[in-house]
Amino acid sequence: MAEPTTWNPYAPLSAQTTRTLGIGAVVAVLVLWAVISGSGLVSPNKLPAPWQVAKAFAYLAWDGENQRSLLFTATVWSLGRVLAAGALVVAIGIPIGVIMGASPRVNAALSPLIDPFRSAPVVALLPIMVMWFGIGEWMKVLFLFVGAVVYLIPMVRDAVRAVPQAYWISARDLGATPFEAVRHAVLPLAMPRIADAVIVGVSVMWTYITVAEYVNAREGLGQLIQNARRFSAMDQVFAGIIVIIAFALLSYQLMRYLKAKMYPWETKL
Amino acid sequence: MSTPASPVSIELKDIVQEYPNKDGTGVLRVVDGISLTLQPGINMLLGPSGCGKSTILHMMGGVRPIGVQTPTSGTVLIDGQPCVEAHDDAVMVFQRYANRPDLTVEENVAFPFRLRHWRSRVNDAEARRRVDETLAAVGLTGHRKHLPSQLSGGQNQRVALARALVLRPRILLMDEPFGALDAQTRGEMQQLLVQIYEQNPCLVVFVTHDVTEALALGDRVIVLSTQPAKIADDFAILEPRPRSVIWQRSTEAVRMEERILAQLHAASAGRASLRVSV
Repeated sequence: MAEPTTWNPYAPLSAQTTRTLGIGAVVAVLVLWAVISGSGLVSPNKLPAPWQVAKAFAYLAWDGENQRSLLFTATVWSLGRVLAAGALVVAIGIPIGVIMGASPRVNAALSPLIDPFRSAPVVALLPIMVMWFGIGEWMKVLFLFVGAVVYLIPMVRDAVRAVPQAYWISARDLGATPFEAVRHAVLPLAMPRIADAVIVGVSVMWTYITVAEYVNAREGLGQLIQNARRFSAMDQVFAGIIVIIAFALLSYQLMRYLKAKMYPWETKL
Repeated sequence: MSTPASPVSIELKDIVQEYPNKDGTGVLRVVDGISLTLQPGINMLLGPSGCGKSTILHMMGGVRPIGVQTPTSGTVLIDGQPCVEAHDDAVMVFQRYANRPDLTVEENVAFPFRLRHWRSRVNDAEARRRVDETLAAVGLTGHRKHLPSQLSGGQNQRVALARALVLRPRILLMDEPFGALDAQTRGEMQQLLVQIYEQNPCLVVFVTHDVTEALALGDRVIVLSTQPAKIADDFAILEPRPRSVIWQRSTEAVRMEERILAQLHAASAGRASLRVSV
């Protein structure tokens, strides 16, 4: 029997259907891509065929001639930069966000300095960063840091402010100092949303990694793409982009999983 | 639980509370010259929603709203001492339990002992003993390792009540604590409160907008009118608890109910939103 298929935004979708539709869409794009490449309508210099990209991927993964894996080295460098910047974002961004969330005065002072950068072109800061911090590793890590922290801080602030005042009042009534009320009553409840902020921050860093590695990078996925473009190796450009997307997706899913493990009590909306 | 060393009292003297209007053109008076002396017993503060009864309760708890002087004029005395900040003897219980979702039941009940204020007054062994005792008193011993999300609304309110009782307060300030519960659970919680009160008589101030609840629990019922709140009526109920359904349907109880409703309607024509629950 066919089920009634009226359109209902709230009807749950089975895992099976979700998977089928998702994989189907990816396969459809691959097929379309293959057909366009195979028909010879578009030059491989503009759009390399899927099999060419696969070949480039294999070459990047293991270059037998020179006994090296370009992809592995590049990934380790990019991952290292994201992790270093991520550690900075967490260590600096979260405390600032929490203090802003807990103190309307600090928030009033800092939010005009931070909030506009959420919609401002952080990429435009790159030349300034180069002037200030040179063209070495520090510049790249700090660029990722700035790019992500301007998203993270307001999110952490909002996470703290979203905790119902009742928790604060209750803790204060029980004899908590203001600091204790934040530490023991407000902050623990804000943690799941702070974790969301970290997830967004790391995702943002993956989108900026290519930009960060534009300038004077000897290794890294962004540099790999940049280099391949210079030699018009479009197949390698595509392969590099796919790897970055894969890593971004992987780290996103991993962080989501960790968050669910750490805060199983978070109320589902 | 030990009996309090001396009977405690709360005295309100000419309490006035005003808030600035939203448009900033004047003030809105929500509490208008309330004077009241409360003695140990279950004191019901009954009034329509938004009449300022929670504001009065917060004053007794020493919990101050933000940016407004509270009270605008008048004084709150606890045992003759002005109450200006959170008070060791008075603990509040709220309708929205304020349980930490990441802590187990026993951790939530032991929550006050995380605070320096109580850590310096109650040692670990004593704290553990009190937690065990209080969990038993509210009937949560079997749920001590559970998280609040695994509990019903009534059980969550038991946790909140236990967190207050673990401090052995001489004053229990309850702000519509059972307002969010279904009728049956509310009845159970009322029973529990009576039971706890009988074991350890203290001064309970119980805010409600439920006439039936006021009649079921109160030694004394103080009826407030709305906007601004004034005392519309104040009377004692001598019937011993638990009060049977037969009493609740007796002429005496029905007269009291009618009296309360008449007072409220007279005092606040059209504004009252009261509940008479079954």
